[in-house]
Formats: sequence, structure tokens, C-alpha cells
Amino acid sequence: MITVPSHPKYLSLIRAVTVMIGTQNKVDETVIRHMEHAVDEACSNVIKHAYAGDPNEQIGVTLRISPEAFEVIIEDSGLKADVASIKGRGLDDIRPGGLGVHLIKRACDVFEFDEEKKKGNRLRLVKYLKVQNGNKDNRP
Amino acid sequence: MEIKIIDRDGAKIIALSGDIDIYTSPEVRKQLLRMVDQRISVIMVDLTDVAYIDSSGIATFVEGLKGMMSYSGRLKFFGMPERVKEIFNFSKLDKVFDMYGSMEDALKN
Repeated sequence: MITVPSHPKYLSLIRAVTVMIGTQNKVDETVIRHMEHAVDEACSNVIKHAYAGDPNEQIGVTLRISPEAFEVIIEDSGLKADVASIKGRGLDDIRPGGLGVHLIKRACDVFEFDEEKKKGNRLRLVKYLKVQNGNKDNRP
Repeated sequence: MEIKIIDRDGAKIIALSGDIDIYTSPEVRKQLLRMVDQRISVIMVDLTDVAYIDSSGIATFVEGLKGMMSYSGRLKFFGMPERVKEIFNFSKLDKVFDMYGSMEDALKN
């Protein structure tokens, strides 16, 4: 797990690590690019909503790659996300804001908060990977 | 992130380079909205050297466009790299923004 302060200047670092892990494990470029966006938007939400812009808190990011999936866990100790209210704007409704959730959902097959975490949030993002030989989708 | 403001043939060009995310977009927003406040009729955004854009960057441009609509100003983009264009397309903003391949095309139209 990497832990960084909740300052926006560290988002580029988190993006770079996400790309590097994907690249070193030969994950498809499009998947890497989409996951980079998803992780960035999720961490931005932590900064904006869970920590209300406080740059002195901590964000933990765990990245795992198996032959089956690219998984990222993002943890904070801030305000609980109101999971029921998380939804992006309609994509046809052109206005500022509300796009981040769409970018996360575009990238991930799994977008779920651990509701058992008592303090803060633990968000799990998973993209299932396709098997190289036979082009078979590994999604359970 | 670097921001350069260039005057060219009566238009203002905002030339951006690097990543646009929640760390850098507030400065882009400040520069863009300053021009909107001055009711600049044509603002062009050069994205040639932008490597990454997040939803806050997109929101910044939508806000700028909405401000310019109040005085019939035009917000034009050019030099958009493929991965940046993909985000504009995904957010359906390719339908509301004027996007051009080059600065010359943007100036001509």
C-alpha cells in the first residue's frame, strides 16, 4: 500500500504508480488508461468530500494485479460517503461537475464501498482482465 | 502544468501543458474566467501539450463556455491529443465545444 497526504499535488504520483503497475504487468493500455482515470477521480473525491479539502490527512492506495483482475483499494479516515447519493450527472446534461463517477464506472467492473469499515471509507475498484490465450473473459 | 496567454489575430489563446487535475485546474479556471469577465469574444485553448485531463478540467471548460454564452462568445479548442479527446467525447462535450485540429483552423473558422 502507498500512503500519501491528502493534498491534490500527490494525485500525479498516484496516477504514475497506477500506470507503472499496469504497464509492468502488461495490462492492456486502454484498461490502464481507464484505471488511471478511475483511481485519480476516486482519490479526488476523497480529498474533496471525505476530507473536505484538508491536505493534512492520509490516503492509502493498494494496487494488486492477478491474471484475473486489476484491483485497487482506496482508504481514508474522513467523512463517510453517502453511497446512495453517489451518482453522476446525466451525460447529456451539460454542466460542470458530475463526470468523475462516470469515469470510475466506465473503467471498473466493481465499484463498491466496504460498509463494514467503521471510520472513513474503503473503496474497492476492480477491472476483470481477459485471458490472453483464447480471449476468454475471466469474469466470475 | 504551465499556462501561457498569447494574443493572436484578435483572439486570446490559452496554451496549456502538463496535467489538468484538481491540483492544477483552479489556475486554469482563474485565467479562463478572468477572460470571460472581460467578455473576450474568442478564446482559444491550445491542448497540444496536455497529457492528462480529469473531470475538474472538463468542468472548468464547461463553466467557461456557459459564461461565454451570456455574451455570445466562442470557446475553441485545438491540438487535442487523442487521450484528451477521448474524455471530451465520453462526456459528450465534443457536441458543444468547437474543436479544431490546428490553431490555423481554429482562427479561420
